[in-house]
Amino acid sequence: MANSMIRKSAPNQVGFSAKARQWVTAVFVVVGLVAAFLIFNAVIGGKCDSHCVIGMLNQTLRYAAPVALAAFCGIMCERAAVVNIGIEGMMLMGAMVAYAANLFSFVAMKSAGLDPATAGEVSRVLALVAAIAASGLLALLHAFVSIRFRADQIISGTVINILAIGITGYFYRQFLSQDIPAGPGTFPPFDIPLLAQIPVIGAIFFSGQKPIVYLMLILTVAIHFVLFYTPWGLRTRAVGENPRAADTLGIDVYRVRYINVFVGGLIAGLGGAWFTLEAVDVFNPLMTNGLGFIGLAAMIFGSWAPIGAWVGALIFGLGSTVTTTISIFRPDIPSQLPQMLPYILTMIVLAGFVGRAVPPAADGQPYEKQ
Amino acid sequence: MSSVAEARAPRADWLRVLDLLSMPALAMVLAFVGGALIIWITSGSLITVGEAYGGMINGAFFKTRGFSETLVATTPYIFLGLALALGFKAGLFNIGVEGQFFVGAIGAAWVGSAFSGLPAIIHLPLALGAGALGGALWAMIPGYLKAKTGAHEVINTIMMNYIAFRLTEFVVSGPLRDAHSSAVQTPRVAPNAELWSLYAIPERLGDPLNALGVALVCAFLGWTFATWQTARPSAARRFASASQRRLATLGVGAVVGIVTFLVLPPLTRAWWLLNDQYDRLHIGIFLALVTAVAVWRLLWKTTLGFEMRMVGANPDAAKYAGINSTRNIVVTMALSGALAGVAGTIEVLGVSICRCLPLFFSSGYGFDSIAIALLAQNHPFGIVLGSFVFGAMRNGADLMELNSGVSKYVISLIQGLVLLFVAAPAMVRWLLRLRARAGEEQATITRGWGG
Repeated sequence: MANSMIRKSAPNQVGFSAKARQWVTAVFVVVGLVAAFLIFNAVIGGKCDSHCVIGMLNQTLRYAAPVALAAFCGIMCERAAVVNIGIEGMMLMGAMVAYAANLFSFVAMKSAGLDPATAGEVSRVLALVAAIAASGLLALLHAFVSIRFRADQIISGTVINILAIGITGYFYRQFLSQDIPAGPGTFPPFDIPLLAQIPVIGAIFFSGQKPIVYLMLILTVAIHFVLFYTPWGLRTRAVGENPRAADTLGIDVYRVRYINVFVGGLIAGLGGAWFTLEAVDVFNPLMTNGLGFIGLAAMIFGSWAPIGAWVGALIFGLGSTVTTTISIFRPDIPSQLPQMLPYILTMIVLAGFVGRAVPPAADGQPYEKQ
Repeated sequence: MSSVAEARAPRADWLRVLDLLSMPALAMVLAFVGGALIIWITSGSLITVGEAYGGMINGAFFKTRGFSETLVATTPYIFLGLALALGFKAGLFNIGVEGQFFVGAIGAAWVGSAFSGLPAIIHLPLALGAGALGGALWAMIPGYLKAKTGAHEVINTIMMNYIAFRLTEFVVSGPLRDAHSSAVQTPRVAPNAELWSLYAIPERLGDPLNALGVALVCAFLGWTFATWQTARPSAARRFASASQRRLATLGVGAVVGIVTFLVLPPLTRAWWLLNDQYDRLHIGIFLALVTAVAVWRLLWKTTLGFEMRMVGANPDAAKYAGINSTRNIVVTMALSGALAGVAGTIEVLGVSICRCLPLFFSSGYGFDSIAIALLAQNHPFGIVLGSFVFGAMRNGADLMELNSGVSKYVISLIQGLVLLFVAAPAMVRWLLRLRARAGEEQATITRGWGG
């Protein structure tokens, strides 16, 4: 891996040293962001003051959550060399199961005589668990097909996507589209005590968010720690880079891959639950809107590391925030045009970074024991 | 794994075809069994399974216009399946056919309604060409990004899908909106840009210009067929020189054209099979079949096709052999996108009731066609077969839902299972306790994020 990186960057090293190039890039990014903000503010008629900026950054974090969680799922899988493009389907599954579980457990508990407030809280937590479990099961199928049967991983991921569309569509039409009783609604936002008091940072990160967003922040740090500071992370990365060598050293390649893909699926389920337990209180069969794939782009942007992927997700979240802000302040602009923005942004980011991003060496290759 | 020495003697042609068909057929059967299990579990009765599948078959083949509606649904599947197969053959996973389908539809709706008074011989090809061009341009963008920056086409084509959905919504509700209609849709395309329904063929051929157009197409097909047949060594030996051969093939083409021009219009007026004016089957189905043959010829009989397959099979070897991979990726994506664009064009020009592009026009063909391409193992003729099966399922779904109350989404579930079993033949063998034949291990179809 190190070798190939040196080779790749060698022809570019005319004129600038690596350090200088990093600085130039950073300056460009900052100048670009300031310019983009000025243009944006001009478009919405100069209505964005410091209060609005903090509000927008708070919202950015909210929109970044599902993308970041999708990216973390991708990282867990691909660090163990299993490409997962089925994240979209896993999230869709999570969203549907979360919605259904939330609704039905709430109705059941209410008719059992529990008071609605408690029932709502309990059923939302149950729904979260159910979503995570359902998505984990789908991930196990992906693992089974691509590890045990060594199927093409991209095709297997597509299978997961299509199956998820089929399953969620089927259950939605069969059970969720007729007379639906009122559910308990989404998680209420809350502030983290103490941390919310920090000026600016507290207002952006620690106030008014819902639990999955906070969980996403915790997971960013946790996955970074697990991948780079624990034996399990070392084993995962070894399996991703050179499964043969890892096998020789006594690491059970299949086991590591199964567990990582499964854990990835659990994380994707959390991302899916965001749609129906945090964003809106309804399910519709198209609601994931490509966010799973955008998560993969964030993963590539972040070079298969959680903190980088988190930054990538924030870029996407900012794009979505700008989109919604424009549609609020300038209803005369056809809403579809700003809606294209996050997708175009993702493509630009991907085109700009993928040449430099080096995936784990064994990524996408089935492993066969000898 | 048995060694090469143990491999059996070459099998007869028909046996080899059976071998090729056995795995997809098993996958289909297993998927339907899986679908039956799901219906059984969720409905709680075995009778519902029978009602559902009975309704599906009835709706797909036996209901009034059932069979022709199946063929109507088959047509876009053939184009989209071919689009995916072309990409797969060159090592590209064009998951964005849905977006290219939409952009093709925009192109067709625009060109189809922008002119009036053009004869069909010009307007119809123009509209088809606009759709193909739209799809091709849309697919070239991720192709170019893949070739130049290495950005993976799976993510980029999907992003292009979402952009295409928004673009369609914008175009239909804004610049191209029909001012005279209360519904949000583009203006109706000119009658001369429509794909003829089979019912209307005698009437259409009444116009000598249309008859001339058909004759020209037939002449071209005759010439192509003659060129292909005379290119075989045994046939080529009978001609003294290349120019003589060329003359003979041109002669065949001309004769076919003239005979068509003179005979077809009176013949169809005198006797025509279809007299149901509500039948929606249109000439797009012929277009699809011809395209399938053309794609097969492109892939296996031309240099470009050879290069595409070589890049797909082994990019490093292809690079070593001096094949320009950048050009290859862009050209493959453009061709694939053009096929998908034509599918969208057909939806607008031949299928949609309003002969226009309505808002919230959704096809759902895109994902199904991935399953078709893989089921057919990327062979154009297999795609025609697979498209027919999927078209029948899609068409039968409505009556199935009506008869049994089972949601038609169960079809997507079955199609997902088909894809699952096709993607992992080892899984089918494991489920059925079959042993692998020598050399049957499937080659990788796609590659990871690198290069």
